[in-house]
Amino acid sequence: MLSLLPKRVFWQAAAVAFVVIGGAGAGVMLSIGGVPLLLQATVPAVIATVLSALVIGMLARQVNVALAHHAEETRTHFERELARKTSELRSTLENMHQGVAMYDADYKLVTWNQRFREFLNMPDEFFSRDRSFIDYLRYIGARGEFGDQNIEAVVAQRVEQLKRVHSFERTRPDGTVLEIYRAPTPDGGFIAIYTDITARKQAEQELMRAMEAAEAANRVKSGFLANMSHELRTPLNAIIGYSQMLQEEAQDVGQADFVPDLTKIENAGKHLLGLINDILDLSKIEAGRMTVFIEEAKVSSVAAEVRGIIEPLAATNGNRLVIDCPDTVGTIETDVTKLKQSLLNLLSNASKFTKNGTIELAIARDGDRVVLRVSDTGIGMTADQMARLFQAFAQADASTTRKFGGTGLGLAITRHFARMLRGDVTVASEPGKGSVFTLVLPARQGEAPAQPMAAPRRAVSGDVTGERTILVVDDDEAVHDTIGGMLGREGYRVVHARNGRDALDIARKERPDAITLDVMMPQMDGWSVLTALKNEPALAEIPVIMLTMLHERAIALQLGAAGYITKPVDWAQLSAMLRRLGKRGDTASVLIIDDDPQMRETTRRMLERSGHTVAEATNGQEGLAWLAANPLPSVILLDLMMPVMDGFEFLERVRGNAAWRDVPVLVVTAKSLDAAEIETLRGVTQRIIDKGVSTGVDLRTAVRDILKSRAVTSKATTV
Amino acid sequence: MAKILLVEDNEMNRDMLSRRLERKGFEVVMAPDGQQGLELAASEAPDLILMDMSLPVLDGWEATRRVKAGDATRNIPVIALTAHAMVGDRDKALDAGCDDYDTKPVDFPRLLGKIEMLLQRGKE
Repeated sequence: MLSLLPKRVFWQAAAVAFVVIGGAGAGVMLSIGGVPLLLQATVPAVIATVLSALVIGMLARQVNVALAHHAEETRTHFERELARKTSELRSTLENMHQGVAMYDADYKLVTWNQRFREFLNMPDEFFSRDRSFIDYLRYIGARGEFGDQNIEAVVAQRVEQLKRVHSFERTRPDGTVLEIYRAPTPDGGFIAIYTDITARKQAEQELMRAMEAAEAANRVKSGFLANMSHELRTPLNAIIGYSQMLQEEAQDVGQADFVPDLTKIENAGKHLLGLINDILDLSKIEAGRMTVFIEEAKVSSVAAEVRGIIEPLAATNGNRLVIDCPDTVGTIETDVTKLKQSLLNLLSNASKFTKNGTIELAIARDGDRVVLRVSDTGIGMTADQMARLFQAFAQADASTTRKFGGTGLGLAITRHFARMLRGDVTVASEPGKGSVFTLVLPARQGEAPAQPMAAPRRAVSGDVTGERTILVVDDDEAVHDTIGGMLGREGYRVVHARNGRDALDIARKERPDAITLDVMMPQMDGWSVLTALKNEPALAEIPVIMLTMLHERAIALQLGAAGYITKPVDWAQLSAMLRRLGKRGDTASVLIIDDDPQMRETTRRMLERSGHTVAEATNGQEGLAWLAANPLPSVILLDLMMPVMDGFEFLERVRGNAAWRDVPVLVVTAKSLDAAEIETLRGVTQRIIDKGVSTGVDLRTAVRDILKSRAVTSKATTV
Repeated sequence: MAKILLVEDNEMNRDMLSRRLERKGFEVVMAPDGQQGLELAASEAPDLILMDMSLPVLDGWEATRRVKAGDATRNIPVIALTAHAMVGDRDKALDAGCDDYDTKPVDFPRLLGKIEMLLQRGKE
């Protein structure tokens, strides 16, 4: 600061100091002189003092002027600086795509940009420094943006939120989706940032719809093919059958020279049947209809049976078949038909691609696994060909089909089978040096076998015991280490995904019992992953626990999360939550009683997507009739206003019947209930959902909650 | 000679199998659906029934169950024929009371073996 003072000011200040010190010195000398001297000295002293005062006054004025001048300069300097900064800030704010606003400690609006005004769509008088955030909330509340919720309650809740960093999404009446982020500032106010994410949301939704449509189409295709099996095989049976018959008859009537041609028809028919069977098997796998049947068999008997079928095939290309299966291999618990089919696939491939060579099946026991190795001395494969080998409809080479025939599905099916049986099949090969396929299967299945691919959840029986699998989804390696370690110690099997896309793949493959899902991940955030999981019928029932930095309980539950935990993770809380979620419950049967066909239809679809089975009745009377004729449903969804018999009477009848009394009832109604009605319903229903505001997720969550509580109850009674 | 009741809705399959069986010396009676099959089982008293499982009117599972529930027909051996070798089908067929099970397309020598074995067992 001193360096800023001009030299002139410094010297003037020095002069003032000199005079002051001089004047004071004179005064001191006078007082030493004592009273007699006082009078003598008075006049000069007064003069000196006056003079001093004058000089001081004069100089002080000069200093004042100088200082004022300096302050003026400094102020101008700061004002210029401030103006520059303000303008920089302003143009930054105005050029942002986001709407930005700052509020002070009284939640009064301090700064905002034009985008903010546009996003808020409020009358001009709200954009002034004397309006507060609370005024704004009340205004949009009055405008109806909080739905039926109590405006003051929402205001109180929103104000409470301001103490923490939080973010949420809001759809405005015109359909624009805003992501709103608010964070407290050090002065006690807060900053709000509004981002228009409409395009992103639309793209996400479109992607989701396209994905759903594609998956649905694929399921329809697979289902169609699986259903076609009878239609496709019947005419082939006739072709094969009649050609066999004609061969017998030709021989009987002495026309044996017809036999070779008839044999060709028969063989071609059988070949076609094999191809159709492959395609149908794969369709069945894809449609989730392939079931696993576990039985125990001697491995050597399986090998002997396979030899009987493959030996003639190997011989056609001049190959020698060697089967090495020591008795010590013992027995295997597996789906024997699928094991045989897998071995036949591998061995017939080997026979097809090998000429005048050796085909070997070597079987050995390796601890609790059985290793079945099929090797040949055939043409082998490049690394590139091997990479595509196990994919459906991708033979190693397009020309392979022409040369060697086959659908190219055999290996894809073999891999599916191996994985359904909790094993796998791998390949090692080099061009010209033959190939080795290794099929490894567990000798004992122990618990339930792995689920059929893409099978709906209901295929899982509720009482399957054994370790539970938790899928941990996080982009942060440290979280995998810590959560993985913790869950591992508690006896869970942990599988890991580092991003959303992997998470979905792994969830499909592993069918975990629960998922912990980080919200903040690059590319696909946790919310999108959650939405994708909940939109996929086979995955929708897996409970998901959101791990978030922020308090976003409402959005988590709305999107169907089973729970949420804020980071840093409290292990005890996570562990308790996982225990509480327990094993996945079975899916439920739901009876919908509603006179509105559209409501029934949408609810049915939504519930069926979660794997529930649904029955419908159009009024209370029909509902009672259905209950009398069918096993009890897990839940009843009940409309109140219906012709013939309304929901109130229905409830009264149901609760009055000892057999039906305990069926949970969810009232789904558009009727605005008065206090007496609510009181009536309170004792006899599990929950009341307002049709007007209910979303599918609400219903789904409500149904799931009820099933969960029932699962707990029934467990409690069996213990 | 043994009498076989063939219950099969597909005309060609019925024709083929019946002709082949007849050539082997069996007497064959035929029904195109489960209901008629059930009636013939009672009126014709066959020595053995070959039962297709996907049949109109009354399917093969139910027809077999009723054959096995009827006092007069209970002891007639039934061989289930299904279109595809599904493991579940075999269990289902045996659950329904079938004595044996084979898949279509029929491997005739194998089917003959099963027929003869069941007829033999019946005589003992």
